[in-house]
Amino acid sequence: MNPKQNESNNALTGSNMKGEQQERIRLLLADDEQEFAATLLARLELRNFEVTAVANGRDAIAAVEKEMPDVMVLDLKMPDLDGLEVLAQLRRKFSELKVIILTGHGSFEAGREGMELGAFDYLMKPVDLNKLIEVVRDAHRQK
Amino acid sequence: MKWQQILGKLDVIIPESMRGPVDLSTKQRNYRQLKALLMAAMLTIALVPLLMVAGLSYYYYKDLLVNSEREQLEWQLDGATNSIEHMVASLKSAIQFTAKGDRYGELLDRGNLKTLLARMQYHYGFFADLGVIDANGIQQAYIGPYGLSGTDYHNEQWFREVTDGGVHISRVTTGFRKAAHFAVAVRAIDPVTRQLWVLRATIDATTLQKFIDTIKTAATDDVFLVDDKGILQTSSRFYGETLSQFSQEIPAGIRSGILDDGETVFEAIGLIDDTPWSVVVLKKHYLQQEEWQGFKRKLFFIVFGCMLASIMVIVVLVEKLSDMIRKADELQLSMLKEAEHTNKLASIGRLAAGVGHEINNPLAIIDQKTGFIEDLLLMGDEFEHKDMILQNLEGINSSVGRCKVITHRLLGFARRGENTLEPLQLNDVLVEVLQFLENSMVTKRITVDLNKNEELPRLISDKVQLQQIFLNIINNAIDAIGEDGVIAINSYEVAGDIRVVIQDDGPGMAKEVVAHIFEPFFTTKEQGKGTGLGLSITYGLVKKLGGDIVVHSQVGKGTAFTITLPIMNNQHEDADEPETE
Repeated sequence: MNPKQNESNNALTGSNMKGEQQERIRLLLADDEQEFAATLLARLELRNFEVTAVANGRDAIAAVEKEMPDVMVLDLKMPDLDGLEVLAQLRRKFSELKVIILTGHGSFEAGREGMELGAFDYLMKPVDLNKLIEVVRDAHRQK
Repeated sequence: MKWQQILGKLDVIIPESMRGPVDLSTKQRNYRQLKALLMAAMLTIALVPLLMVAGLSYYYYKDLLVNSEREQLEWQLDGATNSIEHMVASLKSAIQFTAKGDRYGELLDRGNLKTLLARMQYHYGFFADLGVIDANGIQQAYIGPYGLSGTDYHNEQWFREVTDGGVHISRVTTGFRKAAHFAVAVRAIDPVTRQLWVLRATIDATTLQKFIDTIKTAATDDVFLVDDKGILQTSSRFYGETLSQFSQEIPAGIRSGILDDGETVFEAIGLIDDTPWSVVVLKKHYLQQEEWQGFKRKLFFIVFGCMLASIMVIVVLVEKLSDMIRKADELQLSMLKEAEHTNKLASIGRLAAGVGHEINNPLAIIDQKTGFIEDLLLMGDEFEHKDMILQNLEGINSSVGRCKVITHRLLGFARRGENTLEPLQLNDVLVEVLQFLENSMVTKRITVDLNKNEELPRLISDKVQLQQIFLNIINNAIDAIGEDGVIAINSYEVAGDIRVVIQDDGPGMAKEVVAHIFEPFFTTKEQGKGTGLGLSITYGLVKKLGGDIVVHSQVGKGTAFTITLPIMNNQHEDADEPETE
């Protein structure tokens, strides 16, 4: 990363950066909507997150098994494995994993089901980035 | 199957207005026709058997009366015949006793004959004269009021008959005597001379008349004797005096006849043995006139009364019945309309949810892309129009925000899965929802007057959905009030249901607004503030939980939403789901 970006990072992340000088949070983003995932990834990286993006459920599970992320952001509707199923499988193996559900197809019930399966929070697209970051930090803190 | 085919055929007869229940597509039932048909059918069922029974009783009773009358007449005829025969027999035996064969010589003596007549008149009273006739038909001796001694009878029919048959009773005639009489002649044989002789006694016809008069009874209208030529032997009430013509033919038996004045009578004729006479008993039809008239009167009153009663009952019944049908139809129609309305809301809901899905994801991309551009601009150097671009991006952001509110609401229609039912305390749900809204109410200086019934029973329902319902309605109340106001919430139990009334003291709504309040995309809030989906979703949720929601509003006073929820949730949606506990 060039210094310019680092400087800008500070501008985007605001005072938080200075207040709690933290290690970079490692995020796993599972979403089949490429445009969305790519943009979100770029924006999160701008804000000093280490983001890995996967486009389906199997890859998501594989990615977690390969390297445990700090926080996982999970879409519910994906082509191979349903998000809730991914969540259930991962929570069984890695009970400490923090998962934030972020979906565009959500319904009240799906959200509640996710929460029952042990998701940390449930957010609906389109989501305010600051809100997402806030929740991610919360999840990370509680880790 | 066959039975149904027959019923199917019947459909042709039954007019459309009486077939099946009403629905929204069929045209209005014709109640006037329905009423007329019901009336006709019921009148037919009630009156036809009544009239048939009445008619049958009329004819059978009449028949019975005629038969019993005929029987009675037969009886009377028998009686009359018997007594006349008896009288004739005694008359004959008296004369036969007198005409002992060996008394011929004795009786030729006028003195003896006179003594005999006197003795007979003393015993019987009705002998007019007495004559002794020899074998040649010459009257040898005669005692009586007329000078008939020496009259030659040998050419007379009766003389031949008596010499052949032994006894002869004559018709009533006037004969030589010029007064109505009849004669009884008996044959005897003188044992000495072996000559036959005849004793002939004449009897006044009035004697016969008197006798007939004694056997007349109140039960008969006329009794008289006729001879074999149809000449009256005694007087008749209807046919005149003695010796008038009655009829040419005298057949024995009973038949109906018609009198000169047109009255129908029974005519019973019986032959009297060994005489030229027949007895005729006449009886007007229906001796039991009284009885018959009484019966007819009673029958008429009963039939008329029954008809009147059944017509009255039928009229009232048909009136009530058609009224009930009309009311049932109205109820059904309104229910169908409501169901249609609910269906409409549900399908709009599904459509809305679908649209929400499709738009939400591209919207999320636009949102991220805009944000990314903003990020890049904030990091980069100043350049011409940078501020302008940032300003426009802000515009896109706020539009995305507006769209987001709508798509999120639309997605609220998407009901994945079924209700998750659990026993819960409604008051707790209300408290939780109010905690959630506390901040916004404090800023707007809105107070809540929560009047929860502490003894409220727990109900089986879906907690999250209940939260959403109350959140929507209380939010709605907050929006209606704006600032400074009170929201009153009351919960209580009503006959197996739990009812929550949420009332605000906001500006209230007009009737036209209330009518559309649960329709999707209907909103009174200024553009951009409301999606018009909140109450629509709420309505769907309440219905899904088997409850009901009603709104009352008065302009200037406020609005009250009444939500009624069943304590036991047994809606059909969950019927096929296994019990969770």
